[in-house]
This record gives sequence, C-alpha cells and structure tokens, in this order.
Amino acid sequence: VAGTDRTILIAYAIATVLSALVTLALFASTGNRRPPDTHKLAEFEKRWLGIVVAILVALLVATIWFTPYGKTTPSDAQVVAVNAEQFAWQLKPSRVRVGVPVAFVTRSQDVNHGFGIYKGHKFIAQIQVVPDRDSTLIHTFHQTGTYTVLCLEFCGVGHGGMVATFAVTK
Amino acid sequence: VRSGRLVGRYLVASTVILLASGLLGILIRESQAGIGTLGANTWYALMTAHGLGAFVGWAGFAVMGLAYWVLEEVGFELRPLGRVLAEATWWLMVVGVAGVIVSTVFMHFAGSWVFLYPLPFHGAGQWGKWATALFSGSVLLAGLAIVTWCLAILDTVLGPALHAVKSGIGNRLGVALGLGYLWPKRFATNPTPVPYAVIPLTVIGIDMIIATLPLAALLVEMIIQAFSPGVHVDPLLAKNVLWWFGHPVVYLLLFPAVAVYYTLVPKLANRPLVAGNVIAVAWAVAVVANVVVWAHHVYLDHPDSSAQGTINVLMQPTTFALVIPSALSLYSLGMTIYRSDWTWGVVETTLFLGLFSWLTAGLSGVINATIAFDKVVHNTLWIVGHFHQMAIVNIGFVVFAGIYYLLPNVYGKPIWSESLAKWHIWLTFIGVTVNSAFWLWQGLEGAPRRFASLPSGYEASTRAALPFVALVAVAQVIFVVNMWQTLTGAEPRPARQKGDGMLVAAEGAIMMIAVFLALGAGAAGFFLGRGTASSHTKTVTVQGAGGSTTPSVNTQGKQVFTSAGCGGCHTLKDADSSGTIGPNLDQTRPPRPLVVARVTDGMGKMPSFKGQLSPKQIQAVAAYVTAVEGK
Repeated sequence: VAGTDRTILIAYAIATVLSALVTLALFASTGNRRPPDTHKLAEFEKRWLGIVVAILVALLVATIWFTPYGKTTPSDAQVVAVNAEQFAWQLKPSRVRVGVPVAFVTRSQDVNHGFGIYKGHKFIAQIQVVPDRDSTLIHTFHQTGTYTVLCLEFCGVGHGGMVATFAVTK
Repeated sequence: VRSGRLVGRYLVASTVILLASGLLGILIRESQAGIGTLGANTWYALMTAHGLGAFVGWAGFAVMGLAYWVLEEVGFELRPLGRVLAEATWWLMVVGVAGVIVSTVFMHFAGSWVFLYPLPFHGAGQWGKWATALFSGSVLLAGLAIVTWCLAILDTVLGPALHAVKSGIGNRLGVALGLGYLWPKRFATNPTPVPYAVIPLTVIGIDMIIATLPLAALLVEMIIQAFSPGVHVDPLLAKNVLWWFGHPVVYLLLFPAVAVYYTLVPKLANRPLVAGNVIAVAWAVAVVANVVVWAHHVYLDHPDSSAQGTINVLMQPTTFALVIPSALSLYSLGMTIYRSDWTWGVVETTLFLGLFSWLTAGLSGVINATIAFDKVVHNTLWIVGHFHQMAIVNIGFVVFAGIYYLLPNVYGKPIWSESLAKWHIWLTFIGVTVNSAFWLWQGLEGAPRRFASLPSGYEASTRAALPFVALVAVAQVIFVVNMWQTLTGAEPRPARQKGDGMLVAAEGAIMMIAVFLALGAGAAGFFLGRGTASSHTKTVTVQGAGGSTTPSVNTQGKQVFTSAGCGGCHTLKDADSSGTIGPNLDQTRPPRPLVVARVTDGMGKMPSFKGQLSPKQIQAVAAYVTAVEGK
C-alpha cells in the first residue's frame, strides 16, 4: 500500500491533463470548413480498439498480482482477534511487535463493518468484516507507535464513532 | 412527437426529485463541514434519501424518459403494450420515490441507499420494522419500475421498425444488439441497418431484467423478515445480490445517456455518427460484461476459505472490458464533432462538457476497478468524487441537454434565456468538477465516506470545497427560474447578437467573479479549517504537558474516552462528543462504580471493553467521566 496513494495521484493527474488537452484540441477543430474524411476515421476505430485493449491488458498484467486474496498466515505471525459490533471494536491483544507479521482475524457480531487501519491520517490497510465469518488481514508494521482503527463500512448511526487504537512496539 | 407528453412527465417528475435530493445533498455536505450540524441519524437518513433520490429518481428516471424520445426519433415508436408499460413505470417510480422519502425523512430509516443486509434490521433504536418494511417495499417498486421500463424498451426495439429479415426472437434480439454490423448475413435487415441509438437501449433492457430480479427477491425477503425475525439470508450472499443489481444500475444511467449522445451529437454536428462496424463489438462485450462485474464493489470482502477472493479477481478483467463501450463511443462521438460545423449553443456546450466529464470520471473509475488501487481508495471519498462527477456532469448533463433541446424542438417552447441556460451549465460544471476533485483528493488522503462528521484533519479541505457546492445550488436556482419562465410562456429574451461585445464581456466578467469568489471563500474555509485543526492539536499537547511528566488522571481518562470511541454513542460536553445512541452522560451523571461496571462488562447495546482496555484504563476513563459529567 505504501506509496499507492501517490501513484494514483500522479497517474490520475497525468490522465486528466491529457484528457483536457484532447478536449481542447477537439474544441479548436470545430467551425473548420474542411470536413475530415469520416470513412477513414470510422476505419481507424478498429485501431483505436486495439490501442485501448493493449492499454487495458498492460494495466491488468501490471496490477493483478497485488491482490489481498488467499494469503496464508505465516507461522511466526502475531494473531490479533478483532471483534466488531455496533459501535465498537475490541482487539485482543491491543499491542503488537514491529517487523513481525500480524494476522488480524476479524469477525462481526451484527452487521457489515470495515476494519480500516490508520496511522494519524495516513491510511494503512483495510478489510471488510462480514457477519458470521472470519476475515483475516495480514500486515507487517514497520513503524512503532499508536495506530487508529476506523470503521470503513457504513454500519448505522454510530458508524463515525467506531474508533479504537492499538500499539506497535519494539 | 407522439411520446412528447409521456417524456415530458418523466422529465418534470425527475427534475422535481433532482431539486429535492440536491437540496438534501447540499445539507449533508455543509453539515459535514461543521455548519448547521445535523444529528448523526438525521444525516444518514438524508444521505439515504439523497442517494436513492438523485441516482434513481433523478438521473435514472430522466434518462428512462428520454429513451422513449430517442427511440421515436430513430423510427421506433412505442407500441400499445410499450405505452402501457411506460405509464406503469412512471407511477411505480413516483410512488417508490415517495415511499423512500417517507421511510427516511419521516420514519428515520438510515441504512444508506445500498442498505447492506442485515443493517436494516439493526437500526440501533433509530428506526423500527415498519420503516424497514416501507423502505424495502418502496425500493421494490422502483425495481419493478426498472423491469417494466426494460419490457417497454424491448417491446419497442423488437418491433417491426427493426426491419429484420428473419423474424425469430433470437434473430431480432441479435439485430437489435447490432450484431448485423458484424454478421450482416446472419442478422440481415432490409432496407436499413439498426440505428446505433437502439443498441445500448437493447443492451440495458436485457441486462436490467437479469440484474433486478434477484434483488427483488431479496427485498421481498426483507419485508417478510421485518415481521418474522426468524427468517434471514446469508449476509455475504445478500451483499453479492445487492451489487449484482448495483453495478448494472449504474449503466441504467449511462447506456440510455449514450443513446441520447448517439442521437443528438450527429444531429448537431450535421453528419452521421462516425462509427465503424467495430462499435458493435463494444456493445456485444457490454451486454455480457455488465452482468459479470458486480464483485468489483466487494474487492475488499474476502472471508477466510470462501470463494469470494477468486470471484473478485475474475471481476477485474471483466470490469476493464466494460471500458471498451465507453472508449469506442467517446471516439465515435468525438470524431463526429471533429472539424464539424458544431456551434456552441447551450445544447452543444452541455453535451461537449458531458463528454469531457465522461472521459475523466471514466478514468477515475479505472482506478477503482483495479484491485491493487481499490485497496487504498475503497470506501473513501475518492469513490464519492468518482460517481458524483459521472452522475451529474456526464449523465445529468445529457438530461439537461435533452431538456434544452426538447423544449424548443419538440414542445415548441423556446428557452426563455439561452444565456441563463449557459450560466446554469457552466456554473454546474465548475462547481461539480471542483467539488468532485476535492473528494478525490480527500479520498487519497484517507478520508472515509459515509461519515456524518469526518475524523479531524479534513476540516480544511471540506470547507474549501463548500463554496463550490454553493455554486451548484445557485446554478439550479437559475435553472428553475429559466424553466419557469419558459414553461409559462414568457417572451424569450433576445439572443445575443454578434456585435454585443460589451454584453459578452460583462457576462464573462460576472462569471469569473463568481468563480473567484468561490475560490476565495474556499481558500478562506481552507485556512479556517486548518486553523481549527491545529488549535485542537495544541489543546491536546498543552494538556498532555500539564504540570508534570505524568499526565493527570483526567487527561489519561480523556484520551481513553476519545480513542476508544465512547463519544460515538455518548454525549459528554467536556470531550466535545454528542453521540445519541447511549445515555447522555452529562444528564444521567452515572456514579463511578457504575461506569466501571458498564465499560468492563457492557450491557444491552453497550459492548464490553474488557479485552480492549486494561483495568487501569477503565479506572481512568471512569474517573474522568465522573469528574467532568454535567460540567
């Protein structure tokens, strides 16, 4: 996750600027008395499809490996049992060691919740907490300090107040 | 135009819903910025009404109406059955939206517009079973409206206007889906091929029936469960059913809007749509991919040893495939405008800005569609920025363009003031685009969505965005005045002449001033918000440092109170908290042993904090609460 927000920001900023340039070029082209060869443009649509598919395949191949699924809990992991219910978190234990993988085994007693870890305002990781099932989020912390848990799935009137903290120590 | 009255009723009803749900949207955003703060459940109830109202009741409903006009325009008039279904659709939708408003605004149902099962049955004392049942029934009516609309569309597109050579139903469906462009012999037509605008309407007509029926079953189950609590379904299954509908319904907005673009853009550019046969490939992809992308909404759901993760991985390529119809349509529409006699009247300007927004909002959608990126932006305000831009300044602009086009050309009512219409469009465009950009940015900063009040740290950006929300509101007032004058037959104001340089300059100057005022107010809000945030931080630091190196019991207790989330449910003035779920501590003033007992073991809705807080922390928070309560 580290740096992903920056990657998105840069990629999207570039995409927006390019979109704006294309749009301005289209704007500037109107009112032109020489109409283009529309048959050629229609024919070129095939190549455009090829370009779009190539870009999408490239993005798919570049990103599909970074999914959070099917991870097995490492044998040395510290297990934290996370209980979620309207409108509180309970973490047992609420202190973990830095540099060693942590498996947060989350479970909800009532509705869907979202287990979101923050350090200050920096988003760290999240997983949806589904009723009646265990959902495990594995994360290794590289920084000591106090981390905050927010609820990232709307769960009712107390959703915004569903806060907890835990400590990452040496 | 024979469907004129029918389309008009759709446009009037959806515009009324726009104004109501838009007002709710403004209320909840300004409340989030800390001005005229609403109670938490009121906020979520209004959010629920705003979401369903604006998305389905405005944008969806309006393009559903415009679809009838598009079809008639390309030679597919509604037949008697289609007409009855179209009438039924209007009533079902209007009654459904009314029910949503009653169940949320008056009965306090606040489960959000995605009403994630089983939340509607866990109202935390804020709403009861009748509200849940009425809400579910109302959404069911809106769902049925979608199904009857699909049937009306399919009845129309499969009719004689298709000119299909072979009459079998499968063959006619293929023709209506544009397959004749790929296999002209197999899906032959005589004399004319199917108009492009028919294809996206056929696609969504098929898909929305497939998408809506399982949700309808879930809604019926929810009505039953409201009164017989023994009945229930698997929450993970319900989540999948919700999104099985919830994604295609996005395209219930987009695909009819594309049909409007396909119809209006060539008309205004004065040349046929620049499309190769390959555009039919895009729609063939769309009809399949649309119903197999739902799980990109649950990328972050992957319970241990469930198949959900596998399903989610498969959804990234199918979601990417859905980029193709947009990419090819944008190409065709852009090339139709390219070096054409496109003038810059209000309809042309609106459609053009709509295409730009489609492109940029589509690109932010590609980010959400990518699992590796969604891990970061899921359920943050990024998503909110993405879909508001898509829904308002792409789909909504197609609706506005339709209204501005139909009034003079179909209803014989020239727009009262073309220049006010342009003001409406430009101010809406600037306001929505800038506000959406703030949301995207806040999302990347980690700001969660669906928070009545955001965690501290986002005050500055929320306040900075607020003037742009006001700009959107001003624009809709302009729209209403202009529509009122147009519909009551006021003498149209003379169009600007070429020589009116002064007038053009004056208007331009006023618009620049409006935008700069918004920017200035936004900047003021930003620094004000940042000031508030830093003064909060300072207070904490000062208290932490108070007197000695060991923080006082009160300070420690206050820290526990804040970090354990007590304020989410309890009002305690000293801690700046105003939760209303649990008892108000300032009023009930519980004695210290009682606080210790309740925090340790919980009771009723109050969870036990035994595992999360140490006995020392529980003693500290109890000491703090008893020391400050009622003060």
